[in-house]
Amino acid sequence: MEFEVLMNTVGFPLIKILILLGVVLTCVAYTVYVERRLLGFFQSRLGPNRVGPFGLVQPIADGVKLFLKEDLVPLFARRFIFKLAPIFAMAPALVGFSIVTFAPNWVGADGTEHSFVVADVNIGILFLLAITSLGVFGIILGGWSSGSKYPLFGSLRSASQMLSYEIPLTLSVLAVILMAGSFRLSDITEAQQQFFGTRGLYYIVPLILAFAVYLISAVAETNRTPFDLPEGESEIIGFHTEYSGMRFAFFFMGEYANIVLVSCVGTALFLGGYDIPFVSDAALYASHPQLTSILSLASFAAKCSLFIFFYIWIRATFPRYRYDHLLKIGWKVLLPISLVNLLLVAAIKAWPHFQDWLGGAAG
Amino acid sequence: MDQSNLNASGTSPLHKALETRSMELNFGPQHPATHGVYRAILELDGERIVGLDSVIGYLHRGIEKWAEYRTWSNCTPIFDRLDYLAAVINCHGYVGAVEKLLGVEVPKKAQYMRVVCDELNRIASHLIWLGTHALDIGAMTMLFYPMREREVIMDLFESMFGGRLLPNAYPVGGVRLDFPKGWEKACRSFLADLPDRIDDYEKLLTGNRMWVQRTKDVGVVSAEEAIDLGLSGPTLRGSGVYFDVRKAMPYSSYEDFDFEIPLGENGDVFDRYICRIREMRQSARIILQALDGMPEGDLKGKVSKIIKPPAGEAYFTVEGSKGQLGFYLVSDGGKNPWRCHVRSPSFVNLQGMETMCKDGLVADVVAVIGSLDIVLGEIDR
Repeated sequence: MEFEVLMNTVGFPLIKILILLGVVLTCVAYTVYVERRLLGFFQSRLGPNRVGPFGLVQPIADGVKLFLKEDLVPLFARRFIFKLAPIFAMAPALVGFSIVTFAPNWVGADGTEHSFVVADVNIGILFLLAITSLGVFGIILGGWSSGSKYPLFGSLRSASQMLSYEIPLTLSVLAVILMAGSFRLSDITEAQQQFFGTRGLYYIVPLILAFAVYLISAVAETNRTPFDLPEGESEIIGFHTEYSGMRFAFFFMGEYANIVLVSCVGTALFLGGYDIPFVSDAALYASHPQLTSILSLASFAAKCSLFIFFYIWIRATFPRYRYDHLLKIGWKVLLPISLVNLLLVAAIKAWPHFQDWLGGAAG
Repeated sequence: MDQSNLNASGTSPLHKALETRSMELNFGPQHPATHGVYRAILELDGERIVGLDSVIGYLHRGIEKWAEYRTWSNCTPIFDRLDYLAAVINCHGYVGAVEKLLGVEVPKKAQYMRVVCDELNRIASHLIWLGTHALDIGAMTMLFYPMREREVIMDLFESMFGGRLLPNAYPVGGVRLDFPKGWEKACRSFLADLPDRIDDYEKLLTGNRMWVQRTKDVGVVSAEEAIDLGLSGPTLRGSGVYFDVRKAMPYSSYEDFDFEIPLGENGDVFDRYICRIREMRQSARIILQALDGMPEGDLKGKVSKIIKPPAGEAYFTVEGSKGQLGFYLVSDGGKNPWRCHVRSPSFVNLQGMETMCKDGLVADVVAVIGSLDIVLGEIDR
């Protein structure tokens, strides 16, 4: 009896966390591989194809290489913060995955249900926004503590960029929350499944403006081209100029973990999450629960890949924005759009209540 | 911020704490966007540039002095290493100066062949410029597309001269060999493809809002300033000044060909970009005309095996891919140059850096360096 309680409170979550970490880190490593391959194809070259079949072992080789590299700490660096910063950059991105619901509950042979989420908390999105905004500290502290001017520029740029784009991002997410009426990602997915008929209509259709804002702000939040100013290879080399070996790899993996995270969250918020397209999920789940779970997981992964492909695509296409243009877009374009969108959604949602109130007032 | 003002009133601890200083930033010599070992000392107020100081000389190899120890005909390979992206045109400049000293008439066929190779090299140089310039501004895919086209030109050079990047193209007096078999066909098929490819580049960049925002009204230099600074080539023509050595002082039968000199209006990075893009199209036009009108005749004028020009001096200038490239040679009648001086376009164009970058942002420095199309081998010599 006690063992069962212990398993349910500590054991299963711990196993889930380990599995999730493994899956996410593998995904991150292979996102890098896929990006390099795709960029190669975009740029009329092949990309990494030497290590293993189709270069599939390349991420492991890269990891080993970075692991074996010398870990340099510059003379003028503030050592403690310098060493702490990479962890700050990577940890929030990984913690963020804990609230993502990847599939409907798995029904075991004995009828018990296991959820595909580490912590299905009712403030999921709030928690996510809070945690991911911590990631900027890794960049700011890393750049500042390096004791070097180029990284300082990187961290300064990053601070203003992340602050500016956090707001439109949050506002666009708020619109979804208003539509679904819940902060919980699984609720939002279910709301989309039942929205406009039983087969579901994803929020990308009614909230296309919010989706556009989310997409752009997410690119900026993850410091990707065309908003890769904190890195800005050809201008200021980047906030991680002074980092080497595994510490650099932490920044690198943090960035890609963030990409996967915003893709997952974007999928959950706008593309119906784990919903299987063109099928009534609830009916399928009632008859074949396990099959639905697997198909849902695949559907989620496919939608997520679309997001990631989009990020790689724009990286291959666009030049980099300049600092002042970037801030202009954030404050003068995205913020008003997301505010108007939020007001519209709020007005539509409030309309029935307003009518009630009017009716009540008249009566 | 006016520092004297702050200091005058700033005796209190608060003023001391609030006192700001501009920051110095070493931009290079090891920097991915300086196109070599160029170093700019930037004085920055935040990201805004208050002052810029160019430091050069990291690639100094003493080529001009070195030439004094080599025979007249052995000098050509070392001048390839000035502007290593347009080695053929460099070689043309040098042999042109020697021919002027000698008073040799270059046969018409050799002149036409030189025009073909020069213009091919100009296209190759501009393609490299386009790729690196776009990469500096962040459009990384644009690095690879021009490289693909440039590869064809390098192959053409290889079959023509034996070398690719530094082919040691011309001997004094003409050209070494006629075009190899099938060369003209390969060249024509490349030229037939080129306009489409340039259209592709323009689709990616010219109409791209981000590209336009990054380049329009950035690094502006007015026509008067450009002339005062002695700028030349596309960097000058971007400001709307009609000057091209090929038109102003035609050499090697350039007067025979019908081509336009593209001009900009505002003298910003975008105009210089557009000028070079259009120049590639014009170069293709010139090559086609030269191939069509290729005369028959000798490949080389009458030049003795051991060259000993009569005592005297000569200045010969060609339109390099970066601007006006001049060679000043002094002969004392001996078998090697007594004095050699190169007027390299990149060196002079670099003077424009401060004018163009002032009051810009750090990101603009990268755009401006790209738009100047400097080659450090030519600046430091």
